[in-house]
Amino acid sequence: MDAVIRTEGLTKTYGRRSRGVEDVNLEVNEGEVFGFLGPNGAGKTTTIRTLLNFLHPTGGRAEVFGMDSRRESVAIRERVGNLPGEFSLEDRMTGERLLRFFARLRGVEDLSYAHELAGRLGADLRRPMRRLSRGNKQKIGLILAMFHRPPLLILDEPTGGLDPLVQEEFLEIIAETKAEGRTIFFSSHVLSEVERVSDRVGIIRDGRLVTVETTDALVNKSFRHVSLTFAEPVDAGPFAALPGVEELKSDGANITFTLHDNLDEVVKLAAKGRLVGMDYERPSLEEIFLAYYVHEGEVEER
Amino acid sequence: MPLFAHVLRLQLRSVSLWGLALGLLNLITVASFPAVEDQSQVFNDLVESFPPEVRNLFGISEGTDLTTIEGFLAAQTFNFIAPLALAFFPILASASALAGAEERGAMDVLLGNPLPRWQLVVGNFLATAVSLLGILAILGLFTWAPAKLMDIDLSLGRTAEAVLNMWPLCVSLGSLAMLCSAVFHRRVLAVAIPGAVLVAMYFVNALGNTVEGLEDARPFTVFYHYGSAIENGVDWPSFVGVTLAALLLLLLAALAFNRRDIYT
Repeated sequence: MDAVIRTEGLTKTYGRRSRGVEDVNLEVNEGEVFGFLGPNGAGKTTTIRTLLNFLHPTGGRAEVFGMDSRRESVAIRERVGNLPGEFSLEDRMTGERLLRFFARLRGVEDLSYAHELAGRLGADLRRPMRRLSRGNKQKIGLILAMFHRPPLLILDEPTGGLDPLVQEEFLEIIAETKAEGRTIFFSSHVLSEVERVSDRVGIIRDGRLVTVETTDALVNKSFRHVSLTFAEPVDAGPFAALPGVEELKSDGANITFTLHDNLDEVVKLAAKGRLVGMDYERPSLEEIFLAYYVHEGEVEER
Repeated sequence: MPLFAHVLRLQLRSVSLWGLALGLLNLITVASFPAVEDQSQVFNDLVESFPPEVRNLFGISEGTDLTTIEGFLAAQTFNFIAPLALAFFPILASASALAGAEERGAMDVLLGNPLPRWQLVVGNFLATAVSLLGILAILGLFTWAPAKLMDIDLSLGRTAEAVLNMWPLCVSLGSLAMLCSAVFHRRVLAVAIPGAVLVAMYFVNALGNTVEGLEDARPFTVFYHYGSAIENGVDWPSFVGVTLAALLLLLLAALAFNRRDIYT
């Protein structure tokens, strides 16, 4: 698979006080959905703006479709649909007029897909922007990013302001886009949607890319929530003493904890009592994400 | 071209408002001329009694005859309030085009399209320059038509020259605003700097005749090259020179905008 996006040591600093991103090495392959995770201020938007040449890197380089992000920016943007994280549209213009303007800029004549998207997302193209709510403006932004069927979609927080039904429709559109072999790179802090549609996930923290994994691998290799219920009260001490057991809570016959890579010993210890119930749950991507933040933070503090 | 048409369309309402506002000012000026004409000698004597610094500040140059419609219009609008006010149209438009769009968060939506940055600068500039011609056309109409209706002897050609003469002056200030808009990230600076330069140039040119030390600076002001087209016709070498200066500033704006970060 060819890399559609490739960054090597990509660094963007805004002077001494503000960090931006540092030494980001990232590859996004053709046809995949890549979720770019991080809280506000982590560097997601800076990375995206550098890819599109709104920001010039202070170190390293970025390529999109094998083209240099600085020198061949216009050619890159011909093949990219972009939804910025926070944006405003001309207040007095209707969605239809904006759409026609963008179509002229791109030399697109057929707007049937744009109108199909508007119908599916419930976007009103006839009202001026100033009369639209944030969610409805977001729909127009999504249509403007996608109407020309670009081979790469770069979407910064695409579901912000959308109601749950529209979010569902949007995720459906993303799935269809992927099925057409197109690539989607999107940032989000709504982890449930990233988990649903992403093939791979990158987590960025304080400007540094801390991990890139397939979504399944990230979830599978992380901790599990374990809940044990015994027929009679048991001593929780031996469970707490096992390596990999954390955040243990005991309530007589019930013991709950998170477990890192030591299932065998837990099962053998539990079998010594009369076990009447056991839950073994994988965490949500959100919890994994938070764990990355907490653990990385602890390491730094040490 | 799509960007040019887009900006032009967005500016249509502003063109009407600016044209009507300045046009009404000229309409009132022309309408009041017959009353002034009856008291022409009193007016000329009054103006003669002013110190030259004050006469220059109000756009009344040596030889301006307030008893003619051309001299009256020169003193009341064309050499004073009209260029000073109208220059703010391209200043505001240019400040809004880059720094303003960035502040509003409208820049990355637009530049997400395959649009080179220089086209954003040039497209906005050209649309503003054409819009300015629209305002000037309305202004000219509101100057010449009432004169015609009131049987005041004002030629259409001279009126056209008078309004056209404001174009390079305004465009050059618009280019300066575009440069500030390209360099700075804040709209207020892109308005304040050219606004201050405009006023400073007016004072330097007006007082340069009489205040020692300012005389040498006058050629560097746009008003020095402005002249008084309503009285003497357009000074075409100056017209072309100021237009070329505007294009130079535009080139610098395009280069600066190409080099800088958008959003920091």
